[in-house]
Amino acid sequence: MEGKVIVVTSGKGGVGKTTATSCIGAALALEGKRVAIVDMDIGLRNLDVVMGLENRIVFNIVDVVQGKCKISQAAIRDRRIENLFLIPASQSDNKDVLTTSGVERIANQLRKEFDYVIMDSPAGIEKGFENSIVGANEALVICTPDVSAVRDADRVIGLLYSRSITPKLIVNRIEPARVERGEMLSHEDVLEVLSIELAGLVPMDEHVLISSNTGTPLVLQNESTAGHAFKRIARRLNGEGDLPIEVPTHKTSMWSKISKTFGFKN
Amino acid sequence: MLSRLFRKFTRQKASKDTAKKRLQFSLIYDKLELNNTTLKDLQKDIVAVISNYFEINKDSLELKVKRDDDVTALVFNTPILHVKRKRA
Repeated sequence: MEGKVIVVTSGKGGVGKTTATSCIGAALALEGKRVAIVDMDIGLRNLDVVMGLENRIVFNIVDVVQGKCKISQAAIRDRRIENLFLIPASQSDNKDVLTTSGVERIANQLRKEFDYVIMDSPAGIEKGFENSIVGANEALVICTPDVSAVRDADRVIGLLYSRSITPKLIVNRIEPARVERGEMLSHEDVLEVLSIELAGLVPMDEHVLISSNTGTPLVLQNESTAGHAFKRIARRLNGEGDLPIEVPTHKTSMWSKISKTFGFKN
Repeated sequence: MLSRLFRKFTRQKASKDTAKKRLQFSLIYDKLELNNTTLKDLQKDIVAVISNYFEINKDSLELKVKRDDDVTALVFNTPILHVKRKRA
C-alpha cells in the first residue's frame, strides 16, 4: 500500500511549522510507522538543527530531485527514534532550482517507500509553497491565535482548496490564561473565522525552545504539553480519528473557582 | 480574572473580540480584491455587450471597484456617443 504525503504549511512565517513537522513526524514514527520528513525550505534549512541531525547531512532534497543521488542516500536516519528519516533542504540553492514536476515525481516515489511523507513548506505562497503542495494528499495549516497568522492561514486554505486539497487546522501557541482574560482569540473564534476542520490544539510551551536548543525530539519529553498535543494529532492522523481534541487549560485558581460558582464566568 | 470582572462591570470589550471582528471584515475584503487581468477581461466583456446597444468611446471609459464601509460596488463609467437603432 502506498503512503500518504502530508504538507505542513501556514503562509506566515514563525508560527511553528518546523516544530509541528518534526513533532508530528517523530510521533508517527513512535506509532510504528515509517516516516520521511522533507525540508522544502530551500536556501533556509532548519529542520536539521531542530531535529539535531545537522552534522550528518551528505545529500539533500535538491540532489534527489536532480537525480544526483538516491533517496536512501539523502535520507538521514534518526538514531533516537526508529523509522524516522529526514531529507534536508539544500542551503546554497534558491527556491527556483526545483520544478513542480520534479518534486511531484519524487513525492510519488517517497510514497512507495514510506508510510508518511511530511513536507515542511517554506513561509509564503510563492514557488517554494507550490513545490511543497504539488505531491500532497493532505494538508495541515498551522496558525497562531493572532490576526496576521489567521489572515495568512485563510489565504493558504483558499489556495489549497483551489488545488482540490481539503486542509485541516492546527492552532498553535495557545495561552489559556490569556484566552480566558479575553486577550487572545480562542480556538472557537479562529475556527469560526476560517470555517475549517480542526486537526488539533497546541498550547504555548517553554519546552519547545529548550528542546530545539539541544536538538532533542520534543515528543520524547513527557513533561512537554506541546509534545503531548502533537502526539495526539499524530494519532488522529494515523487512524484514531475519534481521539478527542484536548482544549489547553491552565490551572484554575481559587479565585476563578469562586467566581465560577457565583456565575461571573463570561 | 480580575480584569474580566472589571470588563463585566465597565462593559469594556475584550481585545480579542475586536480582533475577531477585524479579521472577519478583512477576510471578506481580501476576497473581493480583483487582480488586474480579471478587471481587464471584465472590461472587455462589458464593452462588447454595451457596444451591441450603444456607440461608446472606448478610450474614455473607466471601470473601478469602489468600497464603502458596508458595500463594495463595481462602477463602470462611459460616455454614450450614439444609441444604436435596433432593426425590428
